[in-house]
Amino acid sequence: MSARVHKLINQPENILSDMLDGFCAAYGDIVRLTDEGLVLRATPKAPGKVALVIGCGSGHEPAMIGWIGQGLFDVNIAGEIFTAPGPDRILQGIKAADRGAGVLVCVSHHAGDLLNAELALELCQMEGLSNVDMVVLYDDISSAPKGREPERRGTAGLFFVWKMLGAFCEGEGDLAAAKALAEKVRDNTRSLAMSLSSCASPITGEVMFEMPEDEMEIGMGLHGEMGMGRQKALGARETIDLMLPPILEDLPFQAGDEVLVLLNNSGSMTLMELFILYKRVAEKLAEAGIRVYKSWIGPYATTQEMAGFALSLCRVDDELKALWDAPADGAYMKQR
Amino acid sequence: MSEIGSDNLKAMVLAIAGRIADSREQLNRLDAALGDGDHGASISAAFEKAVAEVAGLPDPKPSEIWLTTAQSLMNGMGGASGALFGTLFLKGVAAIHGKERLGKADLNKLWAASLAGVKARGKAEIGDKTMVDALEPAVLAFAAYDNIADAWAAAAEAASNGAESTRELIARQGRAKYLGERGIGHQDPGATTIALMFEALDNYWREMTNGKT
Repeated sequence: MSARVHKLINQPENILSDMLDGFCAAYGDIVRLTDEGLVLRATPKAPGKVALVIGCGSGHEPAMIGWIGQGLFDVNIAGEIFTAPGPDRILQGIKAADRGAGVLVCVSHHAGDLLNAELALELCQMEGLSNVDMVVLYDDISSAPKGREPERRGTAGLFFVWKMLGAFCEGEGDLAAAKALAEKVRDNTRSLAMSLSSCASPITGEVMFEMPEDEMEIGMGLHGEMGMGRQKALGARETIDLMLPPILEDLPFQAGDEVLVLLNNSGSMTLMELFILYKRVAEKLAEAGIRVYKSWIGPYATTQEMAGFALSLCRVDDELKALWDAPADGAYMKQR
Repeated sequence: MSEIGSDNLKAMVLAIAGRIADSREQLNRLDAALGDGDHGASISAAFEKAVAEVAGLPDPKPSEIWLTTAQSLMNGMGGASGALFGTLFLKGVAAIHGKERLGKADLNKLWAASLAGVKARGKAEIGDKTMVDALEPAVLAFAAYDNIADAWAAAAEAASNGAESTRELIARQGRAKYLGERGIGHQDPGATTIALMFEALDNYWREMTNGKT
């Protein structure tokens, strides 16, 4: 018998439309909602620049609706809860985003996101839309071993790709250059997540999996997919000491490297806990001779009310640092 | 009866939709163990949409019925399931394009194209704990009989056995892959849906022909 959680929604079948209506009403200066349920920039980018599109399941807010805006993405096609949108809707998003210089469809690697993006690209070919490409992004080291990186899942660390790719596509680079930049950030990014609790499906209210109170799971995916396994819950310091070394070894991040750090809140972890965790991250990185360029702590890609976090590192050079510092104006990602 | 037309195909989509709607909760439960627990709800809603869309087609050819079903599943469901079940119907469209009536050989081609399409799209083979574990044996069994009634019966049985075989497998594709050995003991919801589809088609054929072949 699994526990039920009461969520403040209206009818379960209206979760997506109610959420998008509320979001776009609140941030009407940044985004607008089309009749087809696409979230676009309120003011489109100038013609002649590569446009960025992402389709993804909902339930991970502020990802990705919060990332539509200047210096970020052009269009988000939000699917149902934890369900990638179908190819027709992705095609609509591609058409809505196109500014005459090509469209890059970004895929956070999960089966549904990938398959529907592939189908959408086939529809583009059938309609003669030729300047459209896709890039598959992944960062979670727990989902496939080193050497099989393309099998890995996309998780919170794609944060770095979204920001820097968004900045890149405000410039003059073409579609191929945009894809190459996305791959460069991806290939310098590694993440590992952990969770102390499950979350409930907003549709059914049922808890998605059972998690004993005194245990934690390392390597949890964005939908509560299993990771490396369960173990006794540890303190903050011990948890970081367990999670950071495999991240560092995987790239590997080495002494002298400069990195961006993200501590992403999966849902109901407190900022207090995240700051305590970050203290240990900073200590261990300093010990390893790795310089932190900038850090971000907060809920950027969530899994409902799951209590957990993801630790993500991205190695940066001068090009990436400049893109990181470029202005961005999304509802939930601002950089001045 | 050795050939089928558009009225039969419409009724087949309706039969599948009905069988899946009846199994909505069972499919949700299977998916809760391996995925996020919504497979029954989403696929029954998508087939309901397919039935409505197909009913609205004026005088459709067989391929148009299959194309409309494919689009309803892909766009009504989304996710990996939408793409894969959509592909199942979509890839059959070219195999029957232009035909008014379908004989046994056409149906063989239809299912062979569907199977090849699903395997290519999902990069899955037999033994990966996916819908292919039910679909491939069903398609092979269907092709092995010249008589349509015998073929449906054999396909339904093969799909059911295939779906049951997924219980002991470790998933190598999709979200369940990350469960590893922890997925053993749970039957794959996609394979189960395929078994329900072929069961519905077999039942439809027997009722329609009243046991005659």
